[in-house]
Amino acid sequence: MMRSEIDVLTPRNLDEALGILNENQTGLRIVAGGSDIIVQLRDGVIKPQRLLNILSVKELRFVRKQDDRIHIGALATYNDITSSPLTRDHAWPLVEASKQIGAIQLQNTATLGGNLGNASPAGDSLPPLYALDAVVVTRSKAGARDIPIEEFYLSYRKTALKPNELIAEVHFKALGANDRGAYKKLGLRLTNAISIVDVATVLRGRNGEGAFDEARVALGAVAPTIRRARVCERALTRRPVTRDVLGDVAALAMEDAVPIDDIRGSARYRKDVVASLLYEALEEALYG
Amino acid sequence: MVNTLLIVLDFRLEKVPSSEKTALRIEKTVNFRLNGEQVTVKCPPAYTLLEVLREELHVTGPKEDCAKGECGACTVIKDGAPVCSCLVLVSQAEGSEIMTSEGLVKDGRLNPVQEAFIEQGAVQCGHCIPGMIVSASALLMRNQHPTVDEIRTALSGNLCRCTGYSKIITAVQEAAKNWRQ
Repeated sequence: MMRSEIDVLTPRNLDEALGILNENQTGLRIVAGGSDIIVQLRDGVIKPQRLLNILSVKELRFVRKQDDRIHIGALATYNDITSSPLTRDHAWPLVEASKQIGAIQLQNTATLGGNLGNASPAGDSLPPLYALDAVVVTRSKAGARDIPIEEFYLSYRKTALKPNELIAEVHFKALGANDRGAYKKLGLRLTNAISIVDVATVLRGRNGEGAFDEARVALGAVAPTIRRARVCERALTRRPVTRDVLGDVAALAMEDAVPIDDIRGSARYRKDVVASLLYEALEEALYG
Repeated sequence: MVNTLLIVLDFRLEKVPSSEKTALRIEKTVNFRLNGEQVTVKCPPAYTLLEVLREELHVTGPKEDCAKGECGACTVIKDGAPVCSCLVLVSQAEGSEIMTSEGLVKDGRLNPVQEAFIEQGAVQCGHCIPGMIVSASALLMRNQHPTVDEIRTALSGNLCRCTGYSKIITAVQEAAKNWRQ
């Protein structure tokens, strides 16, 4: 199938988009910002007959706060996330990741929903969303489903999204004054670099003794999907975390990294980088 | 030498969309504003904005190099924001305002960034320059007092393999002064 033979359907609103998805999904691919799909089309990795261009569905582009949760529409661009005071104040690990994705041009077009749907293990928005314990909202004619992000990813590049559904938004509990968090990425250069490893951490609810109620550590690009570093998380909540143990705590996360060798780095190197990057992230979260 | 030339020619033909002539070719009408003028173009809807600008509308300021959003040679301003036109479907440009390096020229006069690139000699082979100028102009449209760091960030998605960037940075600093006047 040549690209000149591919039709593009542009719905006027969400209802129309869901109608098209409900009718017939044969050879249909959803395109949002296009930054992944267009490259895959040109490389012949995907061969759809039709594209559903949802960029026109304006009601899916928003960043808002409802009660104590931040909601981000699937069509919010990285620039939208970086420039919103809501995300800057209540989801800064995600803002840090958004600033480091691609370069300015990509941040103006690439969308959060696109990154979720592309399901790359090196998708930079995913570790912060795991650390924030985000919920992915999917929509179809039948209604909406709230799926915890860890259940949304089934295996390498496989998601729980049904053929008649699209990703509508994500939401998570806003970070507050007693919460800490950070995101760190290692790429081969500062911009337009796919992550060799990236890590995100969120520590919530520091109590009187200085211990946290809840800790989440998420590792990117070291497994077929994003991995939580659970042993490390337990160490972060059991007792107050002090500066002298940060290195040891961060090293615990190496156990959860099962990376591969590829052109960006060897498995061995990636495992070591996990410990160093997480050390930097924890240091910044707690003392930065 | 001849072999290399043939390979280059072959490579070009592969990439030129107008060589895709099949009975199944789908065409749709797309409307947008290009450099201040309304355009209507009939083309395959899954072509990129870059392909349509270059091959159908013959606006050749934006260049195709990496075709994956990494080099910035195809940068255009879409509704006020710099984007890679190789990563935008022409269908996604419907109703939008597109500006290329050609559109920065007003009444035959180059804009301050274009002037400064010439004056500072911030050009060698020239291939990346339209993209550089578009990115730099997009920066100066929203920030007339950029720091060197802000200039570097604004141009970090534009690769140049000749100049080493220092003259480009100087040119944008000079352009900022003239932009303010």
